[in-house]
Parts: sequence; structure tokens; C-alpha cells
Amino acid sequence: MASSKKAIPWIIAGAVGLVAILLWKPTVLIYGVQRAGLYAAIALPMGLAEGILHIVNLAHGELLMVAAYITYSLAQALGLDPLLALFPAMIAMAIVGYLLYQLTIRKALKGPELNQLILTFGIGIALSQIITLIYTSRTRKLHLDYVSSSLTIGQTSFGIWDFTFVALAILMTIGIRLFLSRTKLGKAAVAVGQNPRGAAIVGIDVQKTYSLVFTASVVLVGIAGSFFLTRQSIFPGVGSPFTMKSFSLIAMAGVGSISGVLYSSLALGIAEAIINGIPGMSGWSDIVFFLIIIITIAVRASRTRQS
Amino acid sequence: MKRVSSFILPVVLVLAAVVFPLVLGPYPQTVARTVFKYMALALTWDMLFRSGQVSFGVAGFFGLGTYATVLLAVKAGFSFPLAMLLGAVIAAVFAYALGFLVLQLRGTYFSITTLALAEIFRVILRNWTSFSGGPEGIVLQQIVFGGQSKALYWLNLGVLLVVLLVSVWLENSKFHFALTSIRDNEVSAQTSGVNIFRTLLIVFTITAFLQGLVGAVDVVSYGYAMPDSAFDANYTLLPLAMVLLGGEHSTWGPVIGSVLLGVASEYLKLKIPYGHLLVYGVIIILVILFMPRGLLGFFRRKKGANRG
Repeated sequence: MASSKKAIPWIIAGAVGLVAILLWKPTVLIYGVQRAGLYAAIALPMGLAEGILHIVNLAHGELLMVAAYITYSLAQALGLDPLLALFPAMIAMAIVGYLLYQLTIRKALKGPELNQLILTFGIGIALSQIITLIYTSRTRKLHLDYVSSSLTIGQTSFGIWDFTFVALAILMTIGIRLFLSRTKLGKAAVAVGQNPRGAAIVGIDVQKTYSLVFTASVVLVGIAGSFFLTRQSIFPGVGSPFTMKSFSLIAMAGVGSISGVLYSSLALGIAEAIINGIPGMSGWSDIVFFLIIIITIAVRASRTRQS
Repeated sequence: MKRVSSFILPVVLVLAAVVFPLVLGPYPQTVARTVFKYMALALTWDMLFRSGQVSFGVAGFFGLGTYATVLLAVKAGFSFPLAMLLGAVIAAVFAYALGFLVLQLRGTYFSITTLALAEIFRVILRNWTSFSGGPEGIVLQQIVFGGQSKALYWLNLGVLLVVLLVSVWLENSKFHFALTSIRDNEVSAQTSGVNIFRTLLIVFTITAFLQGLVGAVDVVSYGYAMPDSAFDANYTLLPLAMVLLGGEHSTWGPVIGSVLLGVASEYLKLKIPYGHLLVYGVIIILVILFMPRGLLGFFRRKKGANRG
């Protein structure tokens, strides 16, 4: 009760801020929300793995990139629309995720946290270098008509395709929550996430659960990767900034909070869009992001140290 | 007697490194310079890693040293030696100040924040065009020693020797015990009277100074600084892989790892221009999964097994 009362001034301040932005430049709000959708769609799968396996997957952004390349190749080879190529790409990503878990992550889960960090860092490098080896570092892009569709309300005109990222993020949130709360496997996963030894005692197959959740997180980020391809140019390094961004969004939301990732993405998406909206400042938008990251992490870490 | 014999190998190796350019041509010298650069960075990364902290910010302090040196030389007209020294000092000052924030953090949080810091430096220098030259960077009018390859070689070797000496000193001073106890168990380290924060801050500042110095030498040897090359993530990645391969928490480990990986990657760079860094990723994965103490630990264990 006390915490909800505390939140009231924040909610009011947020609402006032949003109205102010809306009056200043409505497109900023729209692009901010769209950007937030992209961030959330990428961060949510990482949050799932972090919440259940307690592993920070530093190869997360590279898995996004790999999925985008697989989708690209399928689209080129079979002449498919990337949104149809998405389905075979999901199968490919499931195989990638399963093998990654069985061959590497599984062994490292028993070891210290730092080993997992360095291991997934190495996996990220290996993935981006394999893609460089196959595709070189040349930028690639699909040219699709539907992504440039736009809408005009009054005097403001804006692209609407990027709202698919928002939809994707919301669908992922609902999907993950339903999976964790309604299905037997999902409930088992929550139990494993909270206490793996206890879960093993009551008869849950911990290894199978880990394997499933990790694979699911790779498939989900793969879906985000296919959608990413519709809009953006891809190159081997395109995924790596998203690893850090996703980690920070999860830290901001609090590990284990699925809907929290939506709110933290929203805050960051809009903050970046505001900076981008100021003429001549667009190069600085990343700095806002990193500053927010550092402050959040510092606050979170000091809080956990105190408790 | 044992003490004396343990000095023989390092002295012979250093002497061999000093006379190397008299025997071999410019290309091997260039390769050796690259190896020296990464060896120095690997040693600095390992120094902090001895306390159990994984920094992803090596490229950040390397790049700070690079830019501080160039800016002091070009804008303030400082001589190279002074600009380089101050460049390294500036990197150390940044590390000292930021240390109060980041050294409160542990584990993944520390690592990610150091990575974010490196990115912040890069973004600032990329966008502050009037100060730093923006994405195109700054060019020095001339490079040090007129670009003579032997002189550049010895300069790089000299900096490496400084880093090596610091590493050996840390290994044999009371810091070694403090760092090891922090890595093993912070609570018991604290109860045995180790000032954890102060120890980490000192080592963090020293390593940033050395990383900045390596950056300073690199920029006066090549003559230009650009945000994307000065803060290249490879300056973080390669040293990390070298330490893991050679063997962590020591001076010999990074030395062995950087010679093996440095020479191998120069060779592979010629054979496979795109994607030769795959070797680094694969080595990190294999070492973590199968050889957690690196080559050094692997052979020590074998030796022990033979004896036993």
C-alpha cells in the first residue's frame, strides 16, 4: 500500500511529461514507443533466461544477429518474405539454442558466475566471427514495400511499421506470463528458477527445464531478429549493442520482472527519442542511454548490497 | 640457488627481445610490436582479474590514453614524451574518479558497467567534433622517431617491460595477498584487515595508467586517433582470451598466451581477412569449458601428476 502511494507523484510527473512531449513534437512520442517496442522484444527473452537460469547471456545480441542472417538467407534463397521465412528460421534457432545449451551453457552453470560471463562473451565473439566468415562484414538489407507505410493524423505523418515491434513485445509479455503461470512446464520453470535443489527434490527435471527455457529464449530473440531484418540493415556487429541494452533494461526492471521490462524499455525509448528530436543532437542519444544504465545499475547494486 | 636460476629465463628472453630487430626485418618487427601491445594489455587485465573482477573496459582506458596524448600534442603543442606521460595520467585520473562508482559493484554489474564506460568515452569523442575531430579523428603531423621501425620497436618493448615489472611487483608485494583474498572470499578478506575498496581502487588506477600508456605509445607510433579504432572492442577481447589461454592470475600466463595468440592471429589475418577472430572466441569457450587454469595450469597439473 505504501509503495503504491509513493508511486502516485511519479505517475503524475510521467503523465505531465508525456503530455508536454505530445504538445512539443508528437512524433517523438511515437518513435519513442516504437523504439521501446524493439528494445523490449529483444530484452524480454534475455530476461526469461536470466530469471530462470540465473545466467547473463552476453551472446544474446549475437543470437539476434544470427537469426536475422538466417532469415535473410532463407528469404533470398527461397524468395520468401522474411515474415514467412521466420518459421523455418525459428526451427533453426531452436536447434542453435538447444546445441548451445547442451554443449556449453550446461557445463558452465555449475561453475562460478564469472565463468558464465566469459563463456557467453566468447560465444558471442564466435557467432559474430562465423557470420563474418560466411557473409563478410558487408551490410545487407532487404527492401520491402510495406515497411515504409505511413499514417498522417492532422499535420503529423509517421511510419507505422515499427508498431509491429510494440505488438511483438506485448505478445511476448503475454505469452511468457501465460506460459509461466498457466502451463505445467512453466510452473515447473518458476520453481526451478526460485530453488533448483528444492525443485529437483519434488521431482522436477531441472536439466530439462533449463534446456527448454534457454532454447525458448533463443527462439524468441530469433523471432525478434526476423522482424529486425524487415526494417534495419544487418552486419555482423549489429547485435552486440543490444546485449548491453537488454542487460540494462532487465537490471532496471529487476531480474524476474517481465512486465517491468516493458516499462524500462518505454522510459529509455522515449528518452532516446527526445534527444533524437533535438536538431543536431542525434549522435548523443546513446549517451543518455549509457548514463541511465550506469545510474540504474549503481542504485540497484547498492540497494542489494544493503539488504 | 633456486632464486638465481628463476631469473635466468626472463633475462635471456628480455635480451633476445632487445636484439631481435638487429637480426630480423621490418615485418617481424611489426608483428612483434602488435604482440607487445596485446601482451601489455593482457597483463593489465590480469592484474585486476587477480582480485576476481572481470573488466570489459580495457579498450576504454586504452582509448583515453590515445586521445589524451593526441590532443595534448596537437592542440597544446606538448612534446611526445610529456604528452604520452600525461595521457596515461589522465586515463588513471578517470579510473580513479570512476572507481568510486564502479568498484562498488561486483560480478556481472561491474563488468557491464566498465563496458558501458568505454562506450561512453567513444560516443563523447565521436560526437564532440570541435574538440576531438569527430568520427574522422585527429592526425598527428608526424610520428615519433620519424617512423623508424627499430626505434618504434624498442619504444613498444620499453613500455611492455614497464608493465611486466609492475606485474611482477604486484605478484610479490602484499597486494598479491590482498587481491587473492578478495577473489577467494571478500568477507574473510575484510575480517583479516584488507581494505577491499582501497586495494581495488589502487589496482584499478594502476592498470588504467598502464592501459593509457599503451594507448599513448600506440598513437604516437601510428600517427592518428579515431574513435572507432581507439576504442576498438578487440582491445578488450584479445587480452582476455590471451590471459585465459596462457593461464590466469600470473605474469607468465598472459605472456605465453599473448605470444601464441598474437603470432597465430597475425598469420590468420593474412590467410582469412574476414573472421580470423573466430579463433579467439573458440579459445575462450574451450578454455572455460575444458582447461580452466589455462596452459600454465594444464602443464603444472601434468607435471604434478607425473611426479606423484
